[in-house]
Amino acid sequence: MLDTSVMIRDAAKKLLDQKRVDLIIGFETGTLPLRSTPCFVRTSEEAEKLIWNASCENNLARYLRGREEKVGIVAKGCDTRSIISLIKEKQVAREQVFIIGVPCHGMIDRRKIEAKLDGKEILEADEATERVILKGRDFTETINKAEFLHNSCNTCSYRNPVIYDVLIGDKVEEKRGIDEYGEVKEFEAQPADRRWQSFTNEVSKCIRCYACRNACPLCYCQECFVDSSQPQWIGKTTNLSDASIFHIVCAFHTAGRCVDCGACDRACPMGIDIRKLTRKIEKDVKELFHYQAGVNLEDVPPLAAFSLDDPQQFIR
Amino acid sequence: MKEMKIAKSELVSFLNSLIGEYKVFAPVKQDGFIAFQEIHSGSDALLDYVNSKKPPKEIFFPQSEVLFNYRLGGEGLGIEEPTFEDKPMVIFGIRPCDARSLAILDNIFNSQEYKDVYYTNRRGRTLVIAIGCNQPSSTCFCTSLGGSPFSSDGSDLILIDIDQEYVVQPVTNKGKKLVRKHSQFGEAGRRSLSLMRKVTQRAGALIKSKVETGETKKKLDGMFDDPFWDWLHEKCLGCAVCTYLCPTCHCFDIADEALDQRGRRVRIWDTCSFPLFTLEASGVNPRPTNKERMRQRVMHKFKYFVDNHNVAACVGCGRCIKECPVNLDIRAVLNSILNR
Amino acid sequence: MKNPYIPIAMRAEKIVIETDDKNIKTFSLSFLDKAEESSFNYLPGQFAQLSVLGEGEAPFGIASSPTQPGGLEFTVNKIGVLTTALHNLEEGAIIGIRGPLGNCFPIELFKGKDIVIVGGGFAFTTLRSLLKYILYHENRSQFNNVTVIYGARRPGLLLYKDEFKQWEASPDLDLYLTVDQADEGWCGKVGVVPNVLKEVAPSPENAYTVVCGPPIMIKFTLPVLRQLRFPPERTVLSLEMKMKCGIGKCGRCNIGNKYVCQAGPVFTLAQLNELSGEY
Repeated sequence: MLDTSVMIRDAAKKLLDQKRVDLIIGFETGTLPLRSTPCFVRTSEEAEKLIWNASCENNLARYLRGREEKVGIVAKGCDTRSIISLIKEKQVAREQVFIIGVPCHGMIDRRKIEAKLDGKEILEADEATERVILKGRDFTETINKAEFLHNSCNTCSYRNPVIYDVLIGDKVEEKRGIDEYGEVKEFEAQPADRRWQSFTNEVSKCIRCYACRNACPLCYCQECFVDSSQPQWIGKTTNLSDASIFHIVCAFHTAGRCVDCGACDRACPMGIDIRKLTRKIEKDVKELFHYQAGVNLEDVPPLAAFSLDDPQQFIR
Repeated sequence: MKEMKIAKSELVSFLNSLIGEYKVFAPVKQDGFIAFQEIHSGSDALLDYVNSKKPPKEIFFPQSEVLFNYRLGGEGLGIEEPTFEDKPMVIFGIRPCDARSLAILDNIFNSQEYKDVYYTNRRGRTLVIAIGCNQPSSTCFCTSLGGSPFSSDGSDLILIDIDQEYVVQPVTNKGKKLVRKHSQFGEAGRRSLSLMRKVTQRAGALIKSKVETGETKKKLDGMFDDPFWDWLHEKCLGCAVCTYLCPTCHCFDIADEALDQRGRRVRIWDTCSFPLFTLEASGVNPRPTNKERMRQRVMHKFKYFVDNHNVAACVGCGRCIKECPVNLDIRAVLNSILNR
Repeated sequence: MKNPYIPIAMRAEKIVIETDDKNIKTFSLSFLDKAEESSFNYLPGQFAQLSVLGEGEAPFGIASSPTQPGGLEFTVNKIGVLTTALHNLEEGAIIGIRGPLGNCFPIELFKGKDIVIVGGGFAFTTLRSLLKYILYHENRSQFNNVTVIYGARRPGLLLYKDEFKQWEASPDLDLYLTVDQADEGWCGKVGVVPNVLKEVAPSPENAYTVVCGPPIMIKFTLPVLRQLRFPPERTVLSLEMKMKCGIGKCGRCNIGNKYVCQAGPVFTLAQLNELSGEY
């Protein structure tokens, strides 16, 4: 990863020196073990901060909108798919973004590690290619990275950037034979009341902080429906009914747009499985409309278009 | 009153003797993290933990609270004022930083000038039993803000872990009365006290994370127009994680919820991070972008609150540092301010 | 101890449409419980929170003067949820009120001085309270010359038209009404309020000025006052900010280390300059 970091820095410095971009959005080292943090770099000197490792879990496409400058962005596969979605929705112009694509082996899920360590605090983490050495006050533990990745990374078929202006390093092999929707199918097979119970168990943890919404690159409505007062759609308390509707409507708003980058899931402080619904909707969109968001610039999102020979009557 | 002690093996029986007379809140494991919940058996209390995910402020200042109910159609407004429970409560196992946060919240909700009926009802009938921190987390920085792993600010009793037993320091009369009433407490002997002193003397050293905050308010006095705010907010998502998980954040919204003729007015947590916070009906917003909102948050916690109450609205608990989705670290912010 | 979150009941005795676009109405409210009336002691400049239960609550400057017995008057601009709900009420409806809240105009300091009142649009509400208080026959002699400059975008949008007609004829004050755009039948001044202020050029000597209006008017009025040499300590403004609790607890109206609902809404320019760059 050090090599990758160096390559990213070089690419960034070149872009800034040649004035091909005014700003580069990337990652720098975080203040806690196993964390990195978004950084905004505008000079060659600042570009020295850029790093890349298995803690670069945020989707930086979230910071692209509403800018007038030319922006360079460090993006992994899922991030580039978000960028494609943003381009299709005319939120960002292709010419405005210089994509520094980085092939990805998956991002570490800190919560899985914390669960394994049963609450023992990690004070230091040394990341190598396949393993991570974790050190605490009175323990040292080595783990296999591959066993502690985010769930969205485990089912990812786009580890390589789908579009890019420069590719950092070599492409990685895409995983084959992934059961993309295994968990969804399992969930679908359960009886309705069990599914509802499972959903309400998750949603009852919600504290309405909207970290999920704000972390998502595709949640950009000028006025989010939860903030509307005329009319007011839902209340603002943590009441189960209000929280349920928030999550349900939020999931539906991602239909045909969500690329399952997992940013929402990773942002949630209460560990809610936000992807439970979005994955189901993604599967439905794939089956009904043969469409997957953000895999190329040409496909038209199904909910943003119609044609006279659409298979369903009502939509013609 | 001299220091007392209680054997760890007696703790469960002590808690059991409280349950019944008191509503007892203690840390328990819930959904994979720690929460303060009502316990019905002493053995449910978790003693080996760092801190809860959500701050215990929610016991006194819940995320949503009914201010009053109403029923239209009769004479007048039909308001039904809330009734309050009167069963005494104990919050057991709170950390000194969180106990201190209650003392800070008292400045707003329980002061000479103003007593919030909802908050004071609970605060007044709650006994706060803190447990000192022998193993603070790397994100704890309470000592930088006037606290310490064994501070007794805001608690009625504080327990200090000396391995087989706890030394108990009664802080208030309420605390003293409780200790006298329960047989599990005995007088702490010389050995216990010397062990306790060893533990507490290490207190300062235990907190590895330090931020020099003495000059923060003075610096902020002149920083309103500093270009620092232009870049500080860039990665902030503008969500409410830091505010809702903060033990001292206390801003709230008031909303009506109605079903035909009946309804209620509720008070709910709100955050200055949301654009809606200051958005006026005309569409004008004095804090239109994330920059102004982030500046407000930092200035309020470390200058405005200090101007009004002589204490920063931060206890160094580290929750915001751990949970921020983009690792925006308040310690780094404070250090940047000092270096301006 | 009284719970400051509980509103008390008032009845809307009279609802009058003020403007030709019907977006502004004045509500005359009376207390259902007469005992509440005698304990609601307020001074010009203060505000109250009005509730339509089920819709919400919002702050409104009190437009009546304490010299008017038997109730309160509020002028409401229809712009959001609560104001729309108020506008949809009929006479006789019951409204909730919490107040009086905030601070008042520094009337004691005004005594023995000239008062220059500058108002624009529908921000004249608390200025009306102040004006009626000063002009009240028992009070009038305590103040010197009173100059009022009030303007709106066009004649149909002026508030309190009947009262202004009376005041135009009164020797107790010098009144200058103006509109940005005249229509046929308008014989008053034409021009924006800051320009009329420049024209009238009241003297700052031994005078206080009280200014209330939309941000754009304030932006252009303050430089004129500076030119006329009104010092910041004697320039009084009333601030608006989104408020919820009205008692300095919810944090919403926090500017600097003050809460507009408690330390304000009345501030002198000198105080505002010190507060923070926020406003």
